[in-house]
Amino acid sequence: MTSYSNGGLFNPAYHDSETLEIDRRSSSKTPLHTNPYARGEGADGHYSTGQISSDDALRRVPRGGWQEESWRGRESLPMGHISTRPRSPSWQHDNHSTFQIPPDSQYDRSLSIRLPSTTSGNMTMRRRGISMRRMSMFPNGDPNHVAFTEDAIRNEMENEEQNLVKELVALSTRDRIWAIRDLPMSFDEKKHIRSQVLAFKSAKKSRQFTCFADCSENMSLSFRRCGYGIRSARQTLELWQGIMKEIGGTFGTSVLSYFMFLKWLLMFNIFSFLVNFGFITIPQLVYRPWPNISPNVSFRGLEILTGAGYFNNTVMYYGGYSNETKVHLVEYNMQLAYFFTIAVYMVLCGIALIFSMASSFKTNYVLADPASNSAWQLLCSWDFNITNDKAVRQRKNNLRVQLKESMSENAQRERLSLSESLKHFGVYLGAWLLSTSLAVGSGASIYYLCQFEQQRATDSANWSLLQEAETLLVPFVVSLMNLVVPLFYSLFNKFEHYSSQRKQIYALVVRNVLLKMSILAVLCYNWMNVVAVKFSCWESMVGQALYRLVIVDFLFLMLGSFFGEFLSNVIGTRLIPRLGVPEFDVARNVLELIYAQTLAWIGIYFSPLLPAIQILKFFILFYLKKVSLTQNCQPPRRSGRAAQMQTIFIALLFFPFFVGAVSMVAFTAWSLTPSEHCGPFRGLNSTYNVVEVWMVHLKETSSSHWVVWIYQNVIRSEIFYFLISLIIIVIIYIFWQVTRGHKLRIRVLRQQIVDEGKDKSFLLERLQNLQKSHPDIRSKQKNPKKHSKRRPDDHSSGGQSTSNAIVQALLARQHFEKEEEERLSTGGVPVPSDISSISSALIQAMQARQRAEGQERNEHYSAGYYESPTNTSSAVTQAMQARQRAQVEGTDDASDPTSSVSSVMMQVMQARQRAEKDYRPQWVPAPPQNPAPAGSSALIQAMLARQQAQNEYDDGY
Amino acid sequence: MGTTASQLGKDMLSEYQELTFLTKQEILLAHKRFTELLTKDEKDLPNNRVPMERILTLPELKSNPFRKRICNVFSTSEYKDGGLTFEDFLDLLSAFSDSATLEIKSHYAFRIFDFDDDGTLDCGDLEKLVNCLTGETDDTRLTPEEMRQLINNILEESDIDKDGTVNLSEFQHVISRSPDFVSSFKIVL
Repeated sequence: MTSYSNGGLFNPAYHDSETLEIDRRSSSKTPLHTNPYARGEGADGHYSTGQISSDDALRRVPRGGWQEESWRGRESLPMGHISTRPRSPSWQHDNHSTFQIPPDSQYDRSLSIRLPSTTSGNMTMRRRGISMRRMSMFPNGDPNHVAFTEDAIRNEMENEEQNLVKELVALSTRDRIWAIRDLPMSFDEKKHIRSQVLAFKSAKKSRQFTCFADCSENMSLSFRRCGYGIRSARQTLELWQGIMKEIGGTFGTSVLSYFMFLKWLLMFNIFSFLVNFGFITIPQLVYRPWPNISPNVSFRGLEILTGAGYFNNTVMYYGGYSNETKVHLVEYNMQLAYFFTIAVYMVLCGIALIFSMASSFKTNYVLADPASNSAWQLLCSWDFNITNDKAVRQRKNNLRVQLKESMSENAQRERLSLSESLKHFGVYLGAWLLSTSLAVGSGASIYYLCQFEQQRATDSANWSLLQEAETLLVPFVVSLMNLVVPLFYSLFNKFEHYSSQRKQIYALVVRNVLLKMSILAVLCYNWMNVVAVKFSCWESMVGQALYRLVIVDFLFLMLGSFFGEFLSNVIGTRLIPRLGVPEFDVARNVLELIYAQTLAWIGIYFSPLLPAIQILKFFILFYLKKVSLTQNCQPPRRSGRAAQMQTIFIALLFFPFFVGAVSMVAFTAWSLTPSEHCGPFRGLNSTYNVVEVWMVHLKETSSSHWVVWIYQNVIRSEIFYFLISLIIIVIIYIFWQVTRGHKLRIRVLRQQIVDEGKDKSFLLERLQNLQKSHPDIRSKQKNPKKHSKRRPDDHSSGGQSTSNAIVQALLARQHFEKEEEERLSTGGVPVPSDISSISSALIQAMQARQRAEGQERNEHYSAGYYESPTNTSSAVTQAMQARQRAQVEGTDDASDPTSSVSSVMMQVMQARQRAEKDYRPQWVPAPPQNPAPAGSSALIQAMLARQQAQNEYDDGY
Repeated sequence: MGTTASQLGKDMLSEYQELTFLTKQEILLAHKRFTELLTKDEKDLPNNRVPMERILTLPELKSNPFRKRICNVFSTSEYKDGGLTFEDFLDLLSAFSDSATLEIKSHYAFRIFDFDDDGTLDCGDLEKLVNCLTGETDDTRLTPEEMRQLINNILEESDIDKDGTVNLSEFQHVISRSPDFVSSFKIVL
């Protein structure tokens, strides 16, 4: 049981160590489950039940293996099955049998290892308060408190649980549910805690019952139910759950993140489609269900690709909307609706992006720390999602290769000559120059292509089929570049030698982003400056161009996954097996998605229903990629840090792509003149004018002057924006400083931990030295098993042996109790061997104590060291008392053996404590006659006594 | 679904919902999957324990290298055989669910990796961990030299107080710097 952890309390060395707090916390925390019994039966509850099961215990005692097993169980499952089956004797018995002395394991289970027991995790910061309270109850080395029995510990645990329950009761219902849920305990214990809390609560309520409290309780209950309902409904509606699980099961989290991103974008588009369709398209359709298509335009099929012709005057594009104020049931101003829907949508998109980016940064972005690589690789890299057998094997292999690589890299890193690094630098420079010039070149070529196209295009409503097909040239070239140039980039990447995979991916991503940005910038420039001047209904023309880009991009994405994945799969498996099955390139695919989404954002003003196309596109793409992935690809060889990559992708989506799209739309709305003859803003100087017109209208007619006031004094005033930016800058500065402060504090705290670790190891080393200097302890220290597993320079073994001794002393005491009980339970007939064992053990213990005392005294005299006489004298008196009691015991045939035995043991422990305390200052000055043996010899004697008792007992048995 | 719900009982269901991170559907699905593991005559008994071998036939756990450890950690069996009751099973799923907190996840991960159940990750634990991750056969195992170097690296990076072992708080420190952990420490039925 974890109560043994408190053994550390007897060891002064531990009081100085950081882990001590954790230990005690853990020990105090664990036994929550013990409470119900202890409460009912008082402190000695387990004695009575012990009798019931003593037969059983008798049978089991000699089998050390079982005992060790059960002990082990207690540790590994600190709050395990010793649980809430009410008053089950088996529990009590189990509890008991752990106090038996496992003959073999007595030394090899070292206490110091057990001390920071698994249960320490129970302690959250929230509950730190409890432990503090608890600590204050046990002042270090106070002799009055040294005499700990399990009962005291048990009481303490009980208090502990009470405190926890009280704390939980104080919380609000929701917080409490979360707090209980968050306890790392087994289900039974959580249930127990919960019932306790509820019982406590209802008891409290019955005292102060009010209708209001009852009502609010009911309300919160129904709210909670509602919350559960929503949660489960959301889960049911979750799209592609099974597929996601399958992908995660075979390809791991990093590939899964691509699909998550795809799904997230799809949701984004569904939202924007709903907004646009609801606020712009439906009113338009209600007003005018059929578009005014000139009769000589017919549907030819090619429109699906080009978006021109038949579609030109539909609600698909800007030109299909009217500028009227519709009066059906309510007044609906189309101009305002169009403007505000787009504006609000953009703002909402921006906010959503910023929030998801921020939360992603908060949870995922960890500063690149090359030092923590291998620990991370081992401790956190296993993907529990993976369920596929083959994938597991592959992953194991990959991990092994990766580990070996990282180790050889570490070894190689140092020896990199100047010429080699120069060569690397040259390659980087060349690759960067090449890739930048490729990006610039593709931008330029698209610019000339656009000019060429504009010269040929005529501003008429009905084009010939060939003319219409010609419009596909630009999107075709753009998409081709988007497909081919990244392949070159990947090729460059093969020649460069990056020290880490992350840098490699970053380089690739930056180049691709540059390429896409240059292409989009050229296209936008062309639309703003050339198309806007040339065509009469230029917004629709831009909308068409974007439509074509979206569609052709989709075709190329399909082609890309065919060529990129299927062909390289064929090549890798059939033609050149050296290349192997391709991996799914998450970075490239995500960038493609980002590019596609940027097109949709730019197009939202020119073609409000473009999100519908986008939804369709992403939906098909999901299945396409899934099939392509499962058919052609293998799981990634390297497990990158997926979450971090995802953060970067969201950040990229926001900046530059979303910001670019917004600025493009904003520029259009503020500066460009809308076309004269079509669209909702016909006849205005700029789109933004619609707001001014509205304000003038409001001023004249309606009573809502505050809107006008806000518009004139807030929206249009420079002072307002100036102040806002000033405040934001100040806030940012403050937060920046706070962050710096936190960083500093983190560094200090870390240093503190390191220092405390050093302190601890120093103290433990001291203890070890002390014990080494006494020959007895070496002969007694038979813990080969543990030591073979530990590092040779482990300092904790010293402390371990001392604390072990305490445990053994405690165990011995328990053992006596046990024997006593057994004796009683067998009908009260005194079994001679038992008595002799007890008395002999007692005598041994006394001798041990006396000897300790004696040595102590000798030590004092020989070293000539002045010591406070009260200590020694009190020790002597205690020795006297103990001896007296032992004598009484010996003659009186143990009428109350339990208490006497334990009191003797307590005396021994006190003696040891005192010895420890007295001699600490002498450690350094008196090396030849190191006083420590005094203290430890007492323990050794206690151990001897215990052993002997054990032997005798075994014989008797 | 209606039948399963009635099988489980409304009160039980809401209690399970309150004490775990699972939603109603997940609990019902877990119940369904769990009852599938029971044999005919076991089905009638309340609160029965499915032995580890049968739990490990679940495809979600079958090929996991830590499957046995997972069972042992979540088992409340008195015999330490890794058998799970339904409530243990729910505990397992709750800890591995999407909405479980980092605290819970790291706690259980630590216990799973702590092969000898002594409360710290010492060299032996780390060695077993490496063997689990890279495969246990002789040809896949790392050489002793590599193993030593690797373990030294790990301890150097994560053992803040330099006591030769990684304790829970140090482990949580490492975990907190690796955001992927939350998404990868996940088992969904």
